[in-house]
Amino acid sequence: MSYLEYNIKHVPTGASKILHMNWALTLLLIAVAGIGFVMLYSVAGGSLSPWAEPQMKRFAVGMVMMFTVAMVPIWFWRNVAGLAYGLSILLLVLVEIIGVEGMGAQRWIDLGFMRLQPSELTKIALVMLLAAYYDWLDIGKASRPFWVLVPVLLIVLPTLLVLRQPDLGTSILLVTGGGLMMFLAGVHWAYFGAVVAAGAGMVAAVFQSRGTGWQLLKDYQYLRIDTFLRPETDPLGSGYHITQSKIALGSGGWTGRGFMQGTQSRLNFLPEKHTDFIFTTLAEEFGFLGAISLLGLYALIVFFCVISAVANKDRFGSLLTLGVAATFFLFFAVNMSMVMGLAPVVGVPLPLVSYGGSAMLVLLLAFGLAQSAHVHRPRGRS
Amino acid sequence: MTRTPLRPLARILEARQKGENPDAIERENIRLRHEDMRDRARSRAEGRLLVLALFFFCAFAVVGGRMGLMAATEPAEPRAATSTSRIVAQRADIVDRQGRILATNLRTHSLYAQPPHMVDPERAARELVGIFPDLDENRLIKDFTGSRKFLWIKKKLSPEQQQLVHDIGEPGLLFGPREMRLYPNGKLAAHILGGYGFGLESVYAAEVIGTAGVEKAFDDFLRDPAEQGRPLELSIDLTVQAAVERVLYGGMRLMNAKGAAAVLMDAHSGEIVAMASLPDFDPNDRPVPLTEGDQADSPLFNRAVQGVYELGSTFKILTAAQAMELRLVNAFTEIDTNAPLVWGKYKIREWGNHNYGPRLSVMDVVVKSSNVGTANIAMMIGQKRQREFFTELGLFDPTPVELVEAPGAKPLIPKRWSEIVTITTSYGHGMSASPLHLATAYASVLNGGTRVMPTLLKRQAVTPGERVVSEEVSTIARNMLRQVVTRGTATFGEVPGYLVAGKTGTAEKPKPGGGYYNEKVITTFASVFPADDPKYVLVVTLDEPVETSGSKPRRTAGWTAVPVAAEVIRRTAPLLGLRPAIEPGAKDG
Repeated sequence: MSYLEYNIKHVPTGASKILHMNWALTLLLIAVAGIGFVMLYSVAGGSLSPWAEPQMKRFAVGMVMMFTVAMVPIWFWRNVAGLAYGLSILLLVLVEIIGVEGMGAQRWIDLGFMRLQPSELTKIALVMLLAAYYDWLDIGKASRPFWVLVPVLLIVLPTLLVLRQPDLGTSILLVTGGGLMMFLAGVHWAYFGAVVAAGAGMVAAVFQSRGTGWQLLKDYQYLRIDTFLRPETDPLGSGYHITQSKIALGSGGWTGRGFMQGTQSRLNFLPEKHTDFIFTTLAEEFGFLGAISLLGLYALIVFFCVISAVANKDRFGSLLTLGVAATFFLFFAVNMSMVMGLAPVVGVPLPLVSYGGSAMLVLLLAFGLAQSAHVHRPRGRS
Repeated sequence: MTRTPLRPLARILEARQKGENPDAIERENIRLRHEDMRDRARSRAEGRLLVLALFFFCAFAVVGGRMGLMAATEPAEPRAATSTSRIVAQRADIVDRQGRILATNLRTHSLYAQPPHMVDPERAARELVGIFPDLDENRLIKDFTGSRKFLWIKKKLSPEQQQLVHDIGEPGLLFGPREMRLYPNGKLAAHILGGYGFGLESVYAAEVIGTAGVEKAFDDFLRDPAEQGRPLELSIDLTVQAAVERVLYGGMRLMNAKGAAAVLMDAHSGEIVAMASLPDFDPNDRPVPLTEGDQADSPLFNRAVQGVYELGSTFKILTAAQAMELRLVNAFTEIDTNAPLVWGKYKIREWGNHNYGPRLSVMDVVVKSSNVGTANIAMMIGQKRQREFFTELGLFDPTPVELVEAPGAKPLIPKRWSEIVTITTSYGHGMSASPLHLATAYASVLNGGTRVMPTLLKRQAVTPGERVVSEEVSTIARNMLRQVVTRGTATFGEVPGYLVAGKTGTAEKPKPGGGYYNEKVITTFASVFPADDPKYVLVVTLDEPVETSGSKPRRTAGWTAVPVAAEVIRRTAPLLGLRPAIEPGAKDG
């Protein structure tokens, strides 16, 4: 049962849709991507190649995609949600079979002109499907066990496939993102309470069992946890990323060393300096001010999405926008926590800033959906 | 959930009466119901949104706060392991008493690999094995192609080796500057210097730390930046040390001994001018400690300091000197030397089952080395006074010499100091001490009677220690020892012009299970020279010597240790600046 009651005459049509887009959001996205270009330029030692220029091209392509998606009515997207989900699952299975190994994990399908990361696509497809599901589902049924089990399975299936690759970061994003969708859709508190309690219990059990006969993890796994908690014990081994990025953040101070003056990244102390750890370069060169500004921009993006979602009376559009915002939020929150040593190192890029094709295209696609929801939101009747 | 019936008949009829279309009412009802459901959904969603917003806000606050915290803290460079001390790569030189270098530093390079930067790991491994044949090629390839990001290949490289590695042209092979310790004199004074190792290691420097000998004992001094590289001045004289080692080595070979030790000490200051222990080693390439067998057989074992042996009859002069100091006897007091002396279940015999008869002067007890005579003198002294005297001479404690090995070399003393122990120790049996102990005790008694402390550091001024025996007793004791050389058991010890005075000691080696070997002896010659103006004390000890030039193998000190010691004196006395003197009095005086 849907509450959709589109009143076509109140919804803009044709080219005028462009005027009704969420321009604040668009400008914020451009601003963040611009920071990304500047950082990639700096990391390459003041050169557009090898990173800044392709990134710009991809962003341009991504913006075109976003506008295209925004022009398409939102109900079309609702209707293809199931298809998108099925397609992404199919691609995840395909990557198992014909995928290219990159950085020790099987994540890409080589399409010839670009490398496609199906796991990126999955994030957005999952959000779409869950939004469509809760749009379709009677609100009164949302908390019934069977109707809770269905989305849980929808989340678990791609998560397991992604975990096999193995890509811990994306799995975490899928689970958390899906969970947030369910939460927003109004599934009863008790389910989340139970999951959180079980998680806490697991963690407690894992730590309590250490050194006893019924130890749950292998010793080396405990060592990794130790390294995360105290990276300085192994500065050349698994603690290397964290220690070096902490140095970069610390040496940036309040105002930073200045553009192109970062030593940690320039002198190659930092691995992955143009991808997952690009935030450290920003923090080193522009200091706390630069870092907090980027954080502010991200916060504004999330804020505008939430505002748009609250104003949207269409349940699918509203949930979709919130899902996009939540996914985006999780992206940068996990990345920043990881870079600052608040979370273990899992491969999650800094959205729109890190170098990388799939992630940026998929994110812009997602924001295109949010824009479409914004453009085609039901207006008041007259 | 309250359901409004869609078509309550009453309302329809009512509407019909009014002429309205019931379908419109139906639509209105549907609309109202939808709006109601939507409102309920919205109110629930808004609650959820609030929670989400709170969650977002907290996350932003945490991330932002962390950012501020990190921006505010000074960056700390990571340090190797969890160490707190900085790597100080400089280390002061060690020089001898004339300022000649015994140990210094050399800047070399270490070789390490960063496999991620390697272009052709297999070729690199192959060429490395060509340069360093001790490396294993397969192992290297495994390391280079595995997941390791960093590995050491060689800790020290010579400049030639460095050039060869450089010429491989492999960017993943890198050099780190590194100080290493160099002992330019090779094996000379090896046991004194000890050795070094690397402590904290990083790519850019490594800490050179002492692992043995003075290198370890003075580790803090040598590494103290406040000393600004001031060299450590030892009491050793490099030339004398070289002469002592060479002669001792020849003597050890000649006497078929398995080990030898010598201590040459300034009789007044206690400065050790030369100290040698054979077999020895090269501190530049320090051997690893033995993993099995007796550590005393390792070349690392410093026999002069660590080796505690029963030093035999050399103790007799100490007993005689104490008895004279206590005025119990003088040099000509006649002592009963009827052998064997029966004490309880023990029988004290003379060497070679001699019997020196009922009367022998104290002088002759020492010269002829009578066990029975010494035992009788010791009984006059008594247990308590004997122990006090030995303690005073430092025979009961480890030597205070500045070697890290010294405190571990505690003399072996019987737990219960009974009468029989008093008797046997008076002639050097039943307790063990190191050659350095003996040299120290000899110096204290024979230098005029003031106690000396052995040291390896160059002394600026000599302040006489407390008195252990009177000047007069000291002179008489030297006279006795002089006669041991001129007409007693050490006639091979005569070195023309240098008036050697000394006492022999031959002790059978104890078996591990108890009892003594007949054929295995430790022979010692402890001497002082020149006798009329004592300057130096020399102790030479040979481990299991056999002198085979005669018809029967001879093992006594007079045949083994004494000639070696005499040769040492002959060679070193001129180096020590002693002028040969024409002997006053006749040779047989």
